[in-house]
Amino acid sequence: MNAQFAEARARVAEDGALLRSMYELMLLTREIDRVAGKADGHWHACEGEEAVIAACYSGLRPDDFAVPHYRGMLPASVARGADLRALLAGLAGKTTSHSGGRYRSDVCGPIEHRVIGLYSGALGPTLSYAAGTALAAKLDRRDAVTIAVFGDGTSNRGDFHEALNLAAVLKLGVVYVCQNNQFAISTPAARGVGARSIADRAPGYGIPGVAADGNDAIGLRAAVEIAIERARRGDGPTLIEALTYRISGHLVADAADYRPAEDVAAWRSRDPLARLQRHLLECGLLKRDEDERLARETRERVDAAMAQAQADPDPGADALGLQAVFAAARS
Amino acid sequence: MACLSYAQAGCLALERAMAADPAVVVLGEDVGRGGIFGQYRGLQQKFGTARVLDTPISEATIMGAAVGMALAGLKPVVEMRVVDFALCAMDEIVNQAAKARYMFGGQGRVPLVARLPIGIWTGSAAQHSQSLEAWFAHVPGLVVVTPSNPQDNCSLLAASLECGDPVIYMEHKELWTVEAEVDPTAKVPLGRASVLRAGADVTLVTWARTVQPALEAATAAAARGVSAEVIDLRTLWPWDRETVLASAARTRRLVVAHEAVRVAGFGAEIAATVAEELGIPVRRVGGARIPVGYSKVLEDAARISAAAILESLLQ
Ligand SMILES: Cc1ncc(C[n+]2csc(CCOP(=O)(O)OP(=O)(O)O)c2C)c(N)n1
Ligand SMILES: [Mg+2]
Repeated sequence: MNAQFAEARARVAEDGALLRSMYELMLLTREIDRVAGKADGHWHACEGEEAVIAACYSGLRPDDFAVPHYRGMLPASVARGADLRALLAGLAGKTTSHSGGRYRSDVCGPIEHRVIGLYSGALGPTLSYAAGTALAAKLDRRDAVTIAVFGDGTSNRGDFHEALNLAAVLKLGVVYVCQNNQFAISTPAARGVGARSIADRAPGYGIPGVAADGNDAIGLRAAVEIAIERARRGDGPTLIEALTYRISGHLVADAADYRPAEDVAAWRSRDPLARLQRHLLECGLLKRDEDERLARETRERVDAAMAQAQADPDPGADALGLQAVFAAARS
Repeated sequence: MACLSYAQAGCLALERAMAADPAVVVLGEDVGRGGIFGQYRGLQQKFGTARVLDTPISEATIMGAAVGMALAGLKPVVEMRVVDFALCAMDEIVNQAAKARYMFGGQGRVPLVARLPIGIWTGSAAQHSQSLEAWFAHVPGLVVVTPSNPQDNCSLLAASLECGDPVIYMEHKELWTVEAEVDPTAKVPLGRASVLRAGADVTLVTWARTVQPALEAATAAAARGVSAEVIDLRTLWPWDRETVLASAARTRRLVVAHEAVRVAGFGAEIAATVAEELGIPVRRVGGARIPVGYSKVLEDAARISAAAILESLLQ
């Protein structure tokens, strides 16, 4: 496993095209945080967790499924090909969003891009949907995989245990990635998880468990690739724990005064975006002026999409859509 | 007397109960830092982490553990955050907590208070905005309480902690910051409605947040020459048939208004009872049978307005 990991890591570290697209997704994630955090106190910011997003949602095939953690749903949807303006319109409940204003785009991504959301609003059931999409691929004899991402807090729901056990028993092609940012609102992971780590639970299900540095985009991507290959071969699921830190409050409006400021500062200095940027510049995979251009273009792209989304029309009350509740008008 | 918010009033009732009775224990997510609505603020500092227990995100097990704690003699207060998340713990509530007293002929009792706030929660959309009180009122063995103001939230929570049966305690998600004078020693028995406004022409029954538009509608109706008697039911099970029937017998007309979906809402039970007993005309005002939308326009369309209630009062 270690030799396999070292080899995969070395391969990823030299893959300029992949790393640049991951870097772009991380830049985009941070810019989305900036505009969404300003517009909505209910925004769940991703700052500090961008490497998990880049490692999980880059390089998927069109027939794969992504079942993102809600903290990362928007960039995941962009990575799957959804239109940024439509996604941001979904934050503001506009007609131009995928839902026409019926639900929040940062909780449910667009199914037409094979993104599965938190349909029940409860944490946990997405892990079962992931078993389901993988089972559908298996029954169709396709090697499409599903990547399912969830928080440390979510891993304490019964759904987590039942889904991982089912995926193990049926050898389903799912890559389960825990985006462990060490908090569930105010509850530290250490008070939510009895095991030494979340990866440590994997042997209990009879599947591989991998503890990864969630701020190292390259290493985490290598771990994800190994798990994806295993899933495509039909060898079953993997549980990866990506250890990172929630820099912002649970919501933008949460002051998060229940944890020491030194911890936040220490993790801030391990910024995953700066780390990948250093690697790209040092290895000559990105030039400084290209980097500056990328940053500027990303900022402009996000600002423009947000401005358009905010100017988009609100739905009228007639859009309540009694006809949308059932297939036929049975309301 | 002190001026308290709805959240603080509930907190005060709990603080007094915990001080008086060591069997009262709180458990749930984020209760240690005061709960997401501040309804447990200061309790962990006062009573310690053993009596105000932060749990992992494990609703079914939180509720199941509370059933076990109650069977073992404690009086757990179970924080479910909002009724929508309590759906992850329905077997524990419906098949376990609600049945124990009956199954064991009174030998096994489950005196717990489960806090399951109801109602539209601004900007939170379909799965965080439901009013499911009728689901619980339908289940034999459960008491269902829906306070509409700070005083009732204090007094009814205190009464619920004394009641000895499982109580589904349904605060409203948009009342937490409403403030009023609260007397923590004032008693409000479970099952007793409150007549908020006397009237002669029509009886208007409501509860929780809908009390506000109901009172507005009654004022507007008075200006149009229709005198409405407004009754805040306060407890849905057992509900105060006596007060409602006595009022409706005088006014000879009934309107029930609630934020929950109108179809098979608890208003149907009240309307049917009044129609059976008195044979007078009844009307129901309630939500359309559709999930609450996220956009503000869609969300507002799902609210029960004073205008909608007024229209029914004038008919
Ligand atoms: C079943 C359920 N319980 C509670 C909640 C309320 N809630 C929303 S986010 C959250 C914290 C989730 O923590 P974690 O899974 O670690 O994700 P993070 O917010 O840290 O990214 C909670 C408790 C919920 N949505 N669903
Ligand atoms: Mg977390």
